[in-house]
Amino acid sequence: MTNLRPMAAIAIVTARALLGRRRTILMLLLAGAPILLGLLIRLSGRGARPANLEPTLEGLLVSTILPLIALVFGTAALGSELDDGTAVHILTKPIPRWVIVVPKLAVAGGLTAAMLIVSTVLAGVLLGGTASHEIAITIAFAVAIAIGSFVYVAIFLALGVATSRGLVIGLGYALLWEGLLAGALPGTQLLSVREYVRGIISTLAPPGTLTSVVGAQGFVAALVAVVVITALASYRLAVYEVRASE
Amino acid sequence: MMVAVSEQPIPQPTVQPTAQPIVLDRVSRWYGNVVAVNDISFGVGAGITGLLGPNGAGKSTLLHMLAGLLRPSAGQVLIDGRTAWRDPTIYRRIGLVPEREAVHAFLTGRQFVELAAHLQRLAQPAVAAAAALDTVDLAPAANRPVGTYSKGMRQRIKIAAALVHDPSILLLDEPFNGMDPRQRLHMMDLLRTMAGEGRTILFSSHILEEVERLADGILVIHAGRLAASGDYREIRRLMTDRPHTFRVRSSDDRRLAGAFMAEPAVFGTELSDDRLTIRVSEFSGFTRSVARVARDAGVRLLEVAPTDDSLESVFAYLVSRR
Repeated sequence: MTNLRPMAAIAIVTARALLGRRRTILMLLLAGAPILLGLLIRLSGRGARPANLEPTLEGLLVSTILPLIALVFGTAALGSELDDGTAVHILTKPIPRWVIVVPKLAVAGGLTAAMLIVSTVLAGVLLGGTASHEIAITIAFAVAIAIGSFVYVAIFLALGVATSRGLVIGLGYALLWEGLLAGALPGTQLLSVREYVRGIISTLAPPGTLTSVVGAQGFVAALVAVVVITALASYRLAVYEVRASE
Repeated sequence: MMVAVSEQPIPQPTVQPTAQPIVLDRVSRWYGNVVAVNDISFGVGAGITGLLGPNGAGKSTLLHMLAGLLRPSAGQVLIDGRTAWRDPTIYRRIGLVPEREAVHAFLTGRQFVELAAHLQRLAQPAVAAAAALDTVDLAPAANRPVGTYSKGMRQRIKIAAALVHDPSILLLDEPFNGMDPRQRLHMMDLLRTMAGEGRTILFSSHILEEVERLADGILVIHAGRLAASGDYREIRRLMTDRPHTFRVRSSDDRRLAGAFMAEPAVFGTELSDDRLTIRVSEFSGFTRSVARVARDAGVRLLEVAPTDDSLESVFAYLVSRR
């Protein structure tokens, strides 16, 4: 209980830092891209096209927009403060390091999830229509993407603590590992957030929507990943050293 | 306070963790092949201690190790007997004012200090923050975003945040940067008051005049080593390889100059612009003999003042001899 007040204070500052900047507008534009696509299709007079729903949501949201928004918010939540020196005012307080990491993860992950849930639902309705089958697919995607938001943000937040090049390394990870390598080699799916998200979708969505190697284990894998990575980030923050200024 | 002028190759004695809240015990810190701090030991007790050194001497590295933000490569840093590295509980006792100006620019001054109060888990964060803002004379600007503050105001808001939990140890890295003269005087008075209440205050500064006016003792760091520590006037006395210079005014300077030339400790005298300057080898010997010499010469002394026991003189000597 004694940690709740510091956590709330850190959460508020983190939310204001993330929301008060131009990056949020850019992220809203990015999250709005699937909605814009759905609107364009609707405006072209072609109506809902359920066949396009799954590949569009997966290709655009799961594979591209989700890791990108999580990358930006995840690295900004703590890495930016460590880089610009403002984190010193938080680090030099008598609080365990996880008390710093957890609210930052909650805020950055929550912000990413909130943007992408809205984007997924609106894009899903515009692309697939409101038939119960398509709505079920859309909701499955929204839930899975929300969970995936926290896993990705945890990874990028930890990267931001571990290195001042978190954004670049994170981008490389998202493009190379999640985008290309994971899935191309047997067994690598077990270490892919994208595959966890696909597993959750395949579990929640109507049968036949997606096939996944991890299936329902995606829930457990995502939870374990968040806990382990948060613990690693907290440890890394506990041994964080300011860079020499002289 | 300990007084010492250390020689570089001699290992420094281990400081026992006694009543001194800050203790460094044979502490070194290196970055790859670069040694930033080299085998330093000292203890700092209650009062104000100035940390001096040229740019790159290792002052910030030292302060960061004291604040638990850098791991010593060797040795240990103790705060109230606890290892500073990886122990966040030390921040209940420490208030740190970092040199970097970075603060959350979107927060108002009040919110910034209240954030510190919340993170310290104070019972009444708003009350504590208001008191800290009053202390640094920033209450009128407390509701403005920190991003609109001048450099001096940012410095003061950092000090308010560092003071909000009433720490017993205050570490300040170049605290007077950006402050105008009135703010400096106010801050010096504040630090003196806090030191008078028994707090331990260690501050770094590159402005010797500030240190001279404020500090009870100094720590001189040069090239990563502790060049000297203690009262700088005492350090000056120990610089026996450097003549002391006195300015003397008397009823007959010329006669007095001649009389002093017969004294074995006097290196030389110089008479110019109605001012007699005397260079001697030993400070205390001269001060003991000056009245006798004047009396024997039948000269009345009007003024005797050392001219080179300023902190600037001591600092220049310590830095130049290495």
